[in-house]
Amino acid sequence: MIKKMKGILTLLLVLIVQISFAQEKTITGNVTDDTGLPLPGVNIVIKNTSNGTQTDFDGNYSIQGNRGAVITFSYVGFSTKEIAIGDNDTINITLNQDAAMLEEVIVQAYGTTTRATSNISVSVVSSKDIVDRPNASALQTLQGQVAGLNIISSSGQPGAAPVVRIRGVGSINGNSEPLYIIDGIPTDANAFRSLNPNNIESVSVLKDAGGTAIYGNRGSNGVILITTQKGSFNSGLKIGYSGTVQYSNLMGNSYDLLDSPDQLTLERTYGELLGESIGRGSTLSLDEIAASETTNWTEVFFNTALTQSHNLSLSSGGKNTRQFTSIGYFDQEGILEKSSLQRFNLQSNIDGKSSNDKFKFGVNLAVNYSSSGEPNGIGGTGINRNPILGAYQSVPYISPNDYIDGESLLSPLSFANTPLFILDLQRTQVRTEDEVQLLGGINASYEIVKGLTAKVEMTSEYRNEELINQEDPESFNALLFAQGKDPSGTQTIQNTRQFSFNQVSSLNYNKAFGKNTLDIGVFTEYFKAHYQRFGFSAEGLNPLTLAIGDDASFIGDTPDDDAYVDDIFADRLESGLFSYFTRVDYDYDTRIGFTGTLRRDASFRFSDSNRWGTFFSLSGRWNIGNEEFMQNSGFDALKLRVSYGTTGNQYIDDDPLIPGVFFDTPNDSRDLFGTGTTYNAQNGIFQVIIGNNDLKWETTTQLNLGLDFEVFDRRLRGTLEYYDRVTSDLFLSNPISSLATVFNRDDTTLNRFQTTLSANVGEIQNTGADLTLNFDIFRSSLPDGFNFSINLVGNYNKQEIIDLANEEGEIINGATTSLREGGILGEYYAYRYAGVNPDNGNLLFLTADGEETETPDVDNDRVFLDKNIFPDFEGGFGFNIDYKGFFASTQFRYTLGVDRFDNDLEGFQDPTNIGQFRSSLELLDAWTPTNTDSNIPALNASNLDLSANSDRYITNSDFLRLRFAQIGYAFPEQYLRGTGFENVRVFVSGENLFTITDWRGFDPDVVAINAQASANLFPTGRTFSLGFELGF
Amino acid sequence: MKTRNILIIFLTSTVLLWSCNDAIDIIQPGELNPNGAFNSVADLNSGLLGVYDIFDLSPEIQFNAVFTDEVAIGFDNGGQGIGDGEYGFRLNAGSDAPTENWISFHGALNAANRIISAGENLIPDEGEENELINILGQAYALRAWAHFHIISYFSTDYADDSALGGFLVDFIPSVTELLPRSTNGEIFTLIEDDLNKAETMIAAENASTSVSKDFVVALQARIAAYRQQYALAETLASELIAKYPLATRDEYVDVFKDLSNVGVIFKLERTIGDPHDTQNSTGSGFGSGWVGANFAFVNGTIDGSPYYEMGRSLFNEIDPLDIRFDVLLNETSIIHTDDTRDTLVIGKYLGNEKELVNDLKVFRVAEMILIRAEALAAAGNINGASNSTAALIKELRDARFGTDQPLPTYASSEEAFGALLDERRIEFAFEGHRWKDLKRMGIRGNRGILRDPSDCAINNACSLEPTDYRFTMPIPIIELNANPNIGDQQNPGY
Repeated sequence: MIKKMKGILTLLLVLIVQISFAQEKTITGNVTDDTGLPLPGVNIVIKNTSNGTQTDFDGNYSIQGNRGAVITFSYVGFSTKEIAIGDNDTINITLNQDAAMLEEVIVQAYGTTTRATSNISVSVVSSKDIVDRPNASALQTLQGQVAGLNIISSSGQPGAAPVVRIRGVGSINGNSEPLYIIDGIPTDANAFRSLNPNNIESVSVLKDAGGTAIYGNRGSNGVILITTQKGSFNSGLKIGYSGTVQYSNLMGNSYDLLDSPDQLTLERTYGELLGESIGRGSTLSLDEIAASETTNWTEVFFNTALTQSHNLSLSSGGKNTRQFTSIGYFDQEGILEKSSLQRFNLQSNIDGKSSNDKFKFGVNLAVNYSSSGEPNGIGGTGINRNPILGAYQSVPYISPNDYIDGESLLSPLSFANTPLFILDLQRTQVRTEDEVQLLGGINASYEIVKGLTAKVEMTSEYRNEELINQEDPESFNALLFAQGKDPSGTQTIQNTRQFSFNQVSSLNYNKAFGKNTLDIGVFTEYFKAHYQRFGFSAEGLNPLTLAIGDDASFIGDTPDDDAYVDDIFADRLESGLFSYFTRVDYDYDTRIGFTGTLRRDASFRFSDSNRWGTFFSLSGRWNIGNEEFMQNSGFDALKLRVSYGTTGNQYIDDDPLIPGVFFDTPNDSRDLFGTGTTYNAQNGIFQVIIGNNDLKWETTTQLNLGLDFEVFDRRLRGTLEYYDRVTSDLFLSNPISSLATVFNRDDTTLNRFQTTLSANVGEIQNTGADLTLNFDIFRSSLPDGFNFSINLVGNYNKQEIIDLANEEGEIINGATTSLREGGILGEYYAYRYAGVNPDNGNLLFLTADGEETETPDVDNDRVFLDKNIFPDFEGGFGFNIDYKGFFASTQFRYTLGVDRFDNDLEGFQDPTNIGQFRSSLELLDAWTPTNTDSNIPALNASNLDLSANSDRYITNSDFLRLRFAQIGYAFPEQYLRGTGFENVRVFVSGENLFTITDWRGFDPDVVAINAQASANLFPTGRTFSLGFELGF
Repeated sequence: MKTRNILIIFLTSTVLLWSCNDAIDIIQPGELNPNGAFNSVADLNSGLLGVYDIFDLSPEIQFNAVFTDEVAIGFDNGGQGIGDGEYGFRLNAGSDAPTENWISFHGALNAANRIISAGENLIPDEGEENELINILGQAYALRAWAHFHIISYFSTDYADDSALGGFLVDFIPSVTELLPRSTNGEIFTLIEDDLNKAETMIAAENASTSVSKDFVVALQARIAAYRQQYALAETLASELIAKYPLATRDEYVDVFKDLSNVGVIFKLERTIGDPHDTQNSTGSGFGSGWVGANFAFVNGTIDGSPYYEMGRSLFNEIDPLDIRFDVLLNETSIIHTDDTRDTLVIGKYLGNEKELVNDLKVFRVAEMILIRAEALAAAGNINGASNSTAALIKELRDARFGTDQPLPTYASSEEAFGALLDERRIEFAFEGHRWKDLKRMGIRGNRGILRDPSDCAINNACSLEPTDYRFTMPIPIIELNANPNIGDQQNPGY
């Protein structure tokens, strides 16, 4: 024993001697992650020794080592790095996150966490899946990338805000868009038009109550958190540049539309049938018809569009400060003539800390300017206003050469001249929207005593949009509606300003004792937003001095008549919220964790007694993979999560005239009177709103079960989740008896009389599952080896109306959708079309009992069809390949279970359009006494009007689309040595490359989601891009 | 703890407790609450203007024209009347016209009741007592008018007091209040009461664009005729006939250009900048906005995109020598001598202050003459040079032709009623009477909706008998949804 001891002592002596011989020195430094955040608890070991340490809370370390020895830095979830000790005594290092998903840093509500210690349902999309995509709005790029995130394009207009839903539609009347938070600034989908997607560092989509309840009043439809890039501490100036050039064009359709000879022949036939002269066809000889030329108007109104985008970023960091600056320029033409977006972005993020790390601060500021050309009238029925209608429906025998000027279109005034009206519109109308957006925030925190930190974060968004619409006095529309004015014409300038301010103040206490970690935060949040819209519409413009945004051409009113009285308008609205809330986080050894949140919110929308809402969540996890008994299970990680909680919604109803949701329905809880123009244009007093004093928070309760796993040496990673989301006290328009109806003078639509009252009635449920899978089929250990991975995200969602709070359990209206308990949202409720009566060519329908009838009854024969416009399944999949600098990726998107009215087809097949619009080939086969087995009704069938209230044109619009594909080459480091470049990448990519669908129209993805009938919408295009990235 | 730390905690707490009230106690700019609305006679008068404003005959003009034989599909039609089936006699609980007529006139009742209630509780300043009484009188008259309008579209039989009308509303309804339909008898009792009050309270004897004592008499006369209380109708009509001369031919043209009020007892003023000064939805039974936009998109000429033209069966009834031919048909119409299809542009709403904008004529003395003629027919006095149906029709035609017209003779009372319907069809074309006239007199006069065959080739909807259930409108679905109590009070056939 003594001998042995001696031996050990000898060994130690030898070691000591050796160490003393080997120039041992002290190395100090700081470890950060790739966003510059300090990494505490990083294991630091001198390779092949037992000499090791860990970084402290601020990422600092100090270790003894010999020159030439290798220091290993390792940290869960990050790639291990090895650095040899050289001359420097300071080694600062940045660790990069490795591919393994369970350990990534997750941006969540009011802070960050890691994947392993997160209890909530959150999907993260990182910048690499967002940058350099040709979509003007970053939201559009997210399509198909996140399980349970449904993004529907509403228009192909560059920068148009899509419709976004997380896990189904959570409200019928109320807002069902998620909350967007950009660097702490609460905003809406409209903010993305001016935002530069290339500055985005990550997008976190919070889906369950565990993640969203802390947003209380605004979290009921999920939360999308966007963080922009930051510099890194202790790094030199890095310069990055990326540029892309893109071409877009219109995707195809599979309507079989008639060419000129067939169209003219059909007009002639139809004219003979009615004994009238129909269209040009009735006036031409057969020879003239045969010789007629065909114009394809989509080629006239849609073009190949060019886009260019440039981004320059500069980032750097010293010991205590770091900064990120970026400049972006984006110039996109829309595929529709006159649609465009030009954007200039400047962003600067600076943050820093005191040398003792107790005080930290950050400032971010983005200045965004965009200018768009936005044709309006899209989706409408105005033949003189909707350019898409002109493109789709115009008769082929009229040619662009027939256009002379607006005046010559006045007489004879004919529907068939639709394309010429639109040509005139495009030549004469100027419609621009310029937007200035300022996003700014400051935050500061101070660690008062160890573990106790006070923080305040103030953010604001300012958006100013100026819309100018000039109708040229010599344009067809101005002349048509001149109402005796000469000259006519109008110029409208409308300025809309929104300012919001948000402040979160918090105290946070963090304490680790043994293997336990406890984190407690208390917060208050204050939000105030102001909206102002004002402007005028000047009547009468002198054509000699026309100037956009200038009054040179304006014509003053005279005492003789009121022809040139200008319209002036101004609106001001305010919105606000006050909340206080708390969060308690507990973790035991990264094995078990719990989080509880509690939040109280007050909204100005409700009466005093209903003002406050209380929302909570409880969430927990068990990291089964970290348990002893799982060490040889084959699972690299396995985590079970559960959360349950409530969130609120205060956005009672959508006001389409006010952008965003903050200012919608601000006073629905009160009876209100107003003053304004009444009978004989005299000033009067009248009731404006019937209020509902009982309105209160709509509440969503969500249960979420989640399983995160990693197997096969982390090559297969996935998340499977189940959710059950119930929205109660649903905001719905409750029909009121006409006894109490009120005439709304401001509303020039058909709904001039208020016949419903916003109320909290009913309950709906969304249940479903989200699946995310990533599988590295080949994963090379070499830096330029062959890597091949596939990914899949999917969501299944089932909606059910649980309760409608009336005796019948149904809300039936005059349109083609209705609601019933047990049914789905927006369920089609229509006659069932049963084909053509072979005896007379009339349409046949089924009665409720299934009997054939030509005259179904609106009260009794409409039935619920168990179909709606919302998908059952949707998601995306794709692969990523890289090898020796070459890389390729694809991203497919799919949607199943969507049924839509094909109103465009309905137009092409409507006989009463013959002579005015273009028809489809099927109409040539319409029923006649000699063609009795046709499935197209007789052209003069007596019940054609019932077609629109039937399911005849309800069409499945499921699709699978190659949403994105890219191939490129990143020059390997060895080629770049000495060039000054750190990285060089070139790529080509395509968007919407192909679509497999039964839908016959141009784009199954573009939907007017709230309109029951929607034709002539602006489709998205197919885009090819060429781009390159340079890093210095 | 260090003083500095205490200070920091104190400052932090201050920030945390930032006054929250300005974020949650928000009244939007310009809100007017009900208590502040009607606190003076002047305000009450402003409120009365708000009630007048709700009354709009444009929707009934649209319906009476499109659902009957007054119009044909125009050469520049874009699906109007076809798409919603209105031109195909499609009428159901979801149709626009019943929805509009039911809701807007109940909305008018609601507004009128608010004025009546506020006015009855208002203590006027000295010297304003009479003005307050005058305002209240007009509100009563308007309430009676709205009640009667609803009966005229939704009651199965005007002359049957036990038939169902609309709601009887003489109070301010709460938003949750539900009523069953009342009988015509119950409602007519209230109407009579309101009109009697109105006649004593209204100050003006006559006033073309506001409710006057003469308005009350004219409304009473029309109601009496609809209820077939012909003795009363004749007395009331005669009272007005004595006061209002028939327009000359030139004056008649000017009346429809809003340049003359000869023969006009009451009309609804329509002017630039009022809430009805909008094109609104064209071709729908909602039919609000510019009245002429019910027939054409742009103006009342052939270049104004007429989506409805005059029905050929109506055209065939009008003598070109009749001044009404000039008024009803715009001069840009193209009339062929051969079989080529004519283009018949409706000329009544050419517009005065603005294209397609005209005042809406409610009561004209011509109606009083024809009410009296109807009363005489009912009493059996159909022929004869004076005090007969024939004599009164001749009197009217003499004025319209400007020459002495032959005295008609009728073989039967049915023929007389038929002639009355034919005369009313021309005199009141596009003024919102045709459907109601056929409903109440079609059987007596053996007339129904009858379109020219060329007008109905498009959908084969050529005729409708006056006995058809569609001569009563259905209670709209929008009411049935809110008020299940009246589900079993739906009109027959729907």
